[in-house]
Amino acid sequence: MKRTFLIALLALVPLVAHGADPYREYDPLEKYEPNVRGDMKLSGSYRHWSDPKNLDWRMAGNPDENWKLNWKFMDPPFNSAVHGGHFALDRGEVLFKELNGKGRFAHCLGAKKGNLKGLRTQYPMYRADLKRIAGLEEVVEMCAAKEGRVLQNGSYDNSAISLFVASKSNGIPIKIDVAKGVMHDAFERGRKLFHMRTGKLNLACSSCHTHQIGLHLRGTVVTTPYGDAAHYPVYRTRYQLQSLHLRFIECNLDTRVQPLMPGSRAYTDLEVFLTALTNGYPVTVPSERE
Amino acid sequence: MRIGTTLVWLGLSLAIPVWGAELPADAAVNPAAPTKTLEPKVVVNSGRLEWIPFKRDLTAWPTLSHEDKRPTVKPRKVKLSAPLNGDPARGREIAQRADKGYCVVCHQMPGEEWPGTVGLVLTHFKLHNYADAAVYQQIFDPRVINPNSVMPPYGANNILTEQEIRDLVAYLQSIE
Repeated sequence: MKRTFLIALLALVPLVAHGADPYREYDPLEKYEPNVRGDMKLSGSYRHWSDPKNLDWRMAGNPDENWKLNWKFMDPPFNSAVHGGHFALDRGEVLFKELNGKGRFAHCLGAKKGNLKGLRTQYPMYRADLKRIAGLEEVVEMCAAKEGRVLQNGSYDNSAISLFVASKSNGIPIKIDVAKGVMHDAFERGRKLFHMRTGKLNLACSSCHTHQIGLHLRGTVVTTPYGDAAHYPVYRTRYQLQSLHLRFIECNLDTRVQPLMPGSRAYTDLEVFLTALTNGYPVTVPSERE
Repeated sequence: MRIGTTLVWLGLSLAIPVWGAELPADAAVNPAAPTKTLEPKVVVNSGRLEWIPFKRDLTAWPTLSHEDKRPTVKPRKVKLSAPLNGDPARGREIAQRADKGYCVVCHQMPGEEWPGTVGLVLTHFKLHNYADAAVYQQIFDPRVINPNSVMPPYGANNILTEQEIRDLVAYLQSIE
């Protein structure tokens, strides 16, 4: 009887295994601190860009050294003449005011008493109405829809509003709490995804951005993942206005990985992970990157 | 413009039943397009995101999606059958072309002004005296030699053909 039971149990094993996760490879899973200072244990470049007001501009002109500034020399007040990010900011302000006629839009985004100050520093956050964690652009899409307007996640107008909202937090450090609960789980999933090998070239984000920082990939020098989420959405000449999820799509295409839709769960987990690695660094928009 | 977006969304909604078991539902694809994989195009002053066909079809390999249940290709040990029959001139071209090996992204090689510094320096490669079979295995699937290697498995993931890898081996072994 006992034997029959055991055999039946063994017969179930392949069934269970079938539903299990597929074979995946991971780079060695590194630990990261949910604070921008953690970079001192990774690339050490933080010492060169920790104070946005006190960058060594001589390094910016040197291709072998500018990666150490983590491209922060293209953050404001860089070239106050004009780049496309400033136009996008103006557009975002107009759109925001159109949508927020009765104050409902700002309330929907999570602003207390209509005040946008500091709001960007809390995203991505858990949204009870969506029953999941969402980035600012996903929430802009949802709240705009409530006002009868289509602003798809990743579209210019969506990112322009996100940029305008972010500008009200300029100078305020990013502050998301990933110590416990669903945010902690998302951070851990994001950390794992960051190390997961995917695509035709079987590369993970960490294959370069953890293990090869400061080295050349042809003309490009690899930068740290720390402190990089504070300047999004960003102006790029090739992409106009680019949200963080559109940046992930570009990373994917560059490394020959089939990209996902903006707002996908995997990208949001990565956003939580990278934003936590920017905790303590001030929001700086509108920025430009190459 | 709108029609293009609508077609893409139609394509995406059709993709779910057809590709359901394969490609995850959150992948940016249009099964009707020749290369399937889509890339976003940001249109200034628009609330809609345009999608255009990407130059490469990337749908065959695992994505970052949590819903992607397709396995990664496992490390594959291969045996090089003699003779090598590689063409060094073709190998040199494969090493430099972005749509082929593009070895110069990571490796320093002769004749490349802006080489990468991630991988082993390949100038004077011949002096290492590696066996052809070992070099072939390293390019075909480096995970067999080092499980944590960052180098892509060019043979196992069908990035290069066996002949192209033979050409690369012949080229590398010719670099004095």
